[in-house]
Amino acid sequence: MTFINNILKRLNYTQLPARGEWKAFIFKIIDERVRIITAGLNLRELRAIMRGDPPTEKPNPRYKVITTSFVAHIRPRYYPQAATWFTHTFRLGFFVTFFFVVEIITGIVLMAYYVPYPDQAYGSILAIESNVFFGELFRDIHRLGAEAMVAFSWLHLLRTYFTGSYKGPRSFTWLTGVILLAITAWLSFTGYLLPWDQLSYWAVTVGTSITESGPIVGPTLNLVMRGAPDIGAGGLLRFYLQHVILFPLLAILFISIHYYKVSREHSISLPAVVEELELPADKKKEYNRRIDLIPDLLSHEIFLIALGTFVMLAILYFRWFHSPLETHANPQSTPLDTKAPWYFWWLQGILKIDPANILENMLNPILQPLLGLFGIEFTLELSKLLDSKFIMGLIVPPVLVVILAFLPYIDKNPSRLSSKRPFAIVWGISWIFIMLALSYMGLPEYGIETPAATRVIQDLAPEEGEGPLREIPYAELSQAQGIYTVGEDYGRDLCPNIVYQPDHDKPNDIVIGCPHLTAVFNQFSERLLVAEADGRLPNLEARIIVEQVQPGMVRVTPQVDWNDPETDEAKTYEHTYFLHENRVLGSH
Amino acid sequence: MKRVQLEIVLGTIFVLLSAAIVIILGIREPQRLADYVLQQRARQIEFGAAVFQSNCTACHGSTAQGITGIAPSLRDEHFFTERLGEIGWGSTLEDYIVSVVTTGRQVSTRAQYVGGGTPAMPTWSEKFGGPLRDDQIRAVAAYIMNFEQYALGVLPTPVPIGPMVDESTPEGRGQALFTQAGCIACHTIQGISTASVGPALDGLANRAGSTVSGLSAEEYIHQSIVDPNAYVVTGYTPDVMPQNFSEILTEDQISDLVAFLQARTQ
Repeated sequence: MTFINNILKRLNYTQLPARGEWKAFIFKIIDERVRIITAGLNLRELRAIMRGDPPTEKPNPRYKVITTSFVAHIRPRYYPQAATWFTHTFRLGFFVTFFFVVEIITGIVLMAYYVPYPDQAYGSILAIESNVFFGELFRDIHRLGAEAMVAFSWLHLLRTYFTGSYKGPRSFTWLTGVILLAITAWLSFTGYLLPWDQLSYWAVTVGTSITESGPIVGPTLNLVMRGAPDIGAGGLLRFYLQHVILFPLLAILFISIHYYKVSREHSISLPAVVEELELPADKKKEYNRRIDLIPDLLSHEIFLIALGTFVMLAILYFRWFHSPLETHANPQSTPLDTKAPWYFWWLQGILKIDPANILENMLNPILQPLLGLFGIEFTLELSKLLDSKFIMGLIVPPVLVVILAFLPYIDKNPSRLSSKRPFAIVWGISWIFIMLALSYMGLPEYGIETPAATRVIQDLAPEEGEGPLREIPYAELSQAQGIYTVGEDYGRDLCPNIVYQPDHDKPNDIVIGCPHLTAVFNQFSERLLVAEADGRLPNLEARIIVEQVQPGMVRVTPQVDWNDPETDEAKTYEHTYFLHENRVLGSH
Repeated sequence: MKRVQLEIVLGTIFVLLSAAIVIILGIREPQRLADYVLQQRARQIEFGAAVFQSNCTACHGSTAQGITGIAPSLRDEHFFTERLGEIGWGSTLEDYIVSVVTTGRQVSTRAQYVGGGTPAMPTWSEKFGGPLRDDQIRAVAAYIMNFEQYALGVLPTPVPIGPMVDESTPEGRGQALFTQAGCIACHTIQGISTASVGPALDGLANRAGSTVSGLSAEEYIHQSIVDPNAYVVTGYTPDVMPQNFSEILTEDQISDLVAFLQARTQ
C-alpha cells in the first residue's frame, strides 16, 4: 500500500479516494495525462472533435493546442471560409509540402543502401533495384515525388501570381517562396547526379559547365562545385552532401518561415472578389466565417494525404512513371543527345540564344549603308566583345530570378482583381509561353544539326534508352538473321517464313513473319532514301545486318555508306547493338 | 452528404486501395527481383559484348574465336573445362577472366602465345593504367561466360554474317576468312583492317606476280601463307607470321584466301 501511495504522491494526489470512487479517480488521472500529451485536449474534447461537436469548454481548448504545443504552433487557428475554396488555392502549397515529406521518408530508406562513390554508386542503385524488397518502388516514389514537387512549386507560384496574392503584407512571403523554388530545383538537380549513369553524369556536367564561363571567379566556382575540373569522386560527394544534409535543412528552415507567415501572420489570401468587391452583408459574413484547424482543416488534410498517396501509388502501379537508369557514367563518351532535367530545359534553351549574333544581324544592315555614305567600310563584330555563354548562362537567369523575387516591390498596383491588373495578367501568360518556347529550344532536337545517317540510326536506337530497334522481340530477331539492303527489301515482309510465340504463357498467340523488324527496316529505308533524294546522302548504300553471336544474343548492325556531298569522299557510319533474350522480362 | 462525410468515405477508399496496391506489389516483389537479376545479367552481357568488340577483337578475334599465334580462343571446350585446372585457379572461371583482364599478363603461360618483347596481355584495369573500369571488366567476363553452350558443343557455333560478304564466291569466303583466321590483326587492307605488324596487302595483285621470279602471283601468295619465311618482304622480320596456317586451314580455304588477295588490285 505504501508503494501505491508513493506513486500517487509523485503524481500530486495526496488523498486516496474512498471505496466506490476509484473508477472516477483513475479516469481523472488518465484524463489529465491525455490533456498534457495533446497540449490542451482532454478525453471529452477529443470525443467531441471526432463527432464534429462544438468545443466542450470555454475558452476553446482547440485553440490552446496551437499556443502551447511546439509541433502545432506553426499551424493556423482557423482560416476564413473563402480562403479555403478549392478553386482559389488548388491545395498546391499543401501538396508541395506533402511531396517534401514523401521525399524525406523515401530518401532516408534509399540512403541506407546508396554509396556516394563513383566505383560503387551505380552498382548500389542496381542493388536497390534488384536486391532490396520494394527497392524499386522506393526509388520510383522518390523520383516521382521529386519531379512532382518541382512541378507543384511552379504551379503554386503561378496561382499566387494570378490571384495577386503576393501583394501588400505577403510581399516577404513571396520572396521566401521564390527562394524555396530555387532550393527545390537545386535539391532535385543534386539528386539527379547520384545514380551515376550517363543521363545524370552528362546532365550535371552540362549544367555545371555554365559557371565555368563566368569572369574571374567562374573557374574557381566550377572547381568548388565539381570538386575537380571534371565531376568525379569529389564532385559526387559534394552533390550527395548537399542533397541529403545542406539543402533539406535549408528547405525545412525556409518552409517554416514561409508557412509561419501564412498561418500565423497574414493567413491565406481571400479571393480578390471577396476582398475587394462590395458584397451583401450575409455573404460577407459567410465568407469570413472561421474554419477551424481542429477538426475541419485537419480532416481535410488527412483526406488530401490519402488522395496523394493513392495517386502516386496508382501511377507507379500502372507504370505510367518509371525512374530511368541508363548505362554507367562514362566521362570519355558524350551521348549524342545530352539534355538537362525537364525543369532546366528553359536554361538550355536560353544558352542557345546568341545575343551578339542577333545584334550583328540587326544592326549591320542598317549601319553598313549608313557608314558607306561616308566611305567607311565597317562591320560590327560583337561576338568578340560579348561571350554569349556568359551572358545567357550567368547574367540573364539570375536577373530573371531577382526580378521574380522582387516582383511585389516592382508591381505597385494595389488591386488584386484580374480586371484591374490586365497588364500583369497578360505579362504572366506571356511568360508561360516564353518559358515553354525556351524549354522547347532546350531540347536536343532544336538547333543542333546531326549528320543524316547518325540521326536516322540514333532515332531508331538511341544511345541511351530503348527505341524501336531495341523493342523488336528477341524471338523475332533470332530467326530473322540476314542482311537486309535498303532499296532491295523495302515494302515487303522481310521474313515471311518465320513463326514465333511472343509470350510463352499464351501458346495460342503466334506471330507470322517479322512485323517489328520490317517496320524498323522500312522506317530506316524511308528516311535514308529521303536524305538521298534531297542530296544529303549521295551514292547511298545501306543495310541492316542481323546475326546470332551467342546463345541468347543477337547483334544488329545498321550500316550506311555514302559519299560526302561536298568532298565526294566515301563515308561510312554504323552502330552495333547487342540484344540479349532476357533484356526485357516480366513487367519491364 | 456533407463534404466532410464524403471526404471520410473517399479517404477510406483511397487508404484501402493504396493498401491493396502495396499488397499486390509485395506479392509480386520476389518475382520482380528475380526477373530483375536475370535482366540485369542480360544487359551486362550486352554491355560486355560491346566492350569486347571495341577492345579485345584485335587479338582474340571478332567473336572471341582466338587468332593463331596471337591470342587463344575464349570459347573452346578447353577454356571452359580444363583451363582452371591447368593454371591451378581455385575460384570460378568468371573470376579468373576478371583477374586476367584486370592485371594483364607479362608472360604467356603457353609457349605458342609468347609475345615477342611485349606483354602477352596488356593490363586493362584503369587501376593499373588501362582503359577499363571494374564494371566494364565484369561485363566482359559475363559476355565470355555466355559462350558456354557453344563452347561445350551444346549448340552449334553460328557463322558471323559480317558486312558485305558474299559467301557464294571464293573471294567472298576468302574475305570472311581474312577476318576469322586473324589476318586482320597484322595486315592492312583499306576498309577492312588497320594494322602494321605485317606488310599492307592493298594492291597485292599488281606486284605478287613479279616479287619472286619463277612464281606466279597465285603461287607466291599461296607460299606466303603456308610458308611465310620462304620470302620475307624487305623491312619485316622472319618468324613473326605464324607458320602453321597450312595445318589450321584446309586447302580449299587457302585457295579462297588466295582468290580474295589476288583480287586486291588497288
